Amino acid sequence: MSLRGRHNSTNMLVETASFLVIRLGGTYMALPADGIRGVLTQAEAGNEQAVTAAGNVYQPVDLAQRLSVAADLSGLEMRIVLYSNGRSYGAIRVEQMVGLVDVERKDCLPLPPQFQRDERNWFGGMMLYQDRLVLILNPSWALGESSGIVAVSVGQAEQMVAATPAAAGGSC
Amino acid sequence: MLRAAPGQQHAQATKRSWNVVVFSVGGMKLAARTEDVGGVSPWTESIPVPSRTPFVQAMLKRDNHLMPVYDLAERLSRKLIGSPLLCLVARHLDGPMAICIDADVPSLETVDATAIRLNGRGDIETLGSVTIGEIDVAIVALQRLGRSKQEAVRSSKY
Repeated sequence: MSLRGRHNSTNMLVETASFLVIRLGGTYMALPADGIRGVLTQAEAGNEQAVTAAGNVYQPVDLAQRLSVAADLSGLEMRIVLYSNGRSYGAIRVEQMVGLVDVERKDCLPLPPQFQRDERNWFGGMMLYQDRLVLILNPSWALGESSGIVAVSVGQAEQMVAATPAAAGGSC
Repeated sequence: MLRAAPGQQHAQATKRSWNVVVFSVGGMKLAARTEDVGGVSPWTESIPVPSRTPFVQAMLKRDNHLMPVYDLAERLSRKLIGSPLLCLVARHLDGPMAICIDADVPSLETVDATAIRLNGRGDIETLGSVTIGEIDVAIVALQRLGRSKQEAVRSSKY
């Protein structure tokens, strides 16, 4: 299945954020679109784990393994997303690319404070896309820059939630 | 769906008696203060979320609202009974939280405050226990469910 097109918000005055929605197993996740450097099929990427493109080496990123998600990366819809934040470069294998989406920032929600451990570092927030829960990946973590995980206390988690406007949306 | 009658609310205010919702998880009778329960409705399929927080590994979508799921059955090592299962919404201090409970429709009970024994259970946060129909029923502290577990896990790790 190919990319299903871009879903734009029509109101030009509304502040939006762009994401690439991907699927791993039954989990839908989103990567901020500004870090996307390319999308390859397995045939285009070749047999090497790392991918070299435009002079940069994109190291393999196994999100499914890091998130303990059961995913089938052998299917025809598997794609390799070349992703960078300007410092690190990752070749992220995804089971399916679902689509590009512009989301109003108010529609990005924080992870509820009941989630208190490593996942707070994995995900910057969440949103609904086509009636599905989509978890917004933290690019730095996805690229392996912040694997030292925060194990926040209950009080810290409360402060984090209170300190962000995300409690009422705006978590992206 | 479950609301205390005006008379019961008055009794609650005076603290001479507590209004509780009695529900069951894997056949185990449990109770919760009515003010800690946001509602009871049919359970719908939850959405798994990668997570390392014990017993908080899914979300439930209701209309356009999302709330975390607390797996109380897993914590109590129980298997849920009946069909369709029900969803009890806990008014947790961190926000609404869904708990899947047995298909048995919860009941409302009024218990005398003096009959509540303030004995804690090691396996779950409670406000005490009370005898209802000759069964010892723990009153689950829904507002802080999972908090002591979090602290215990953290203490043992660090």
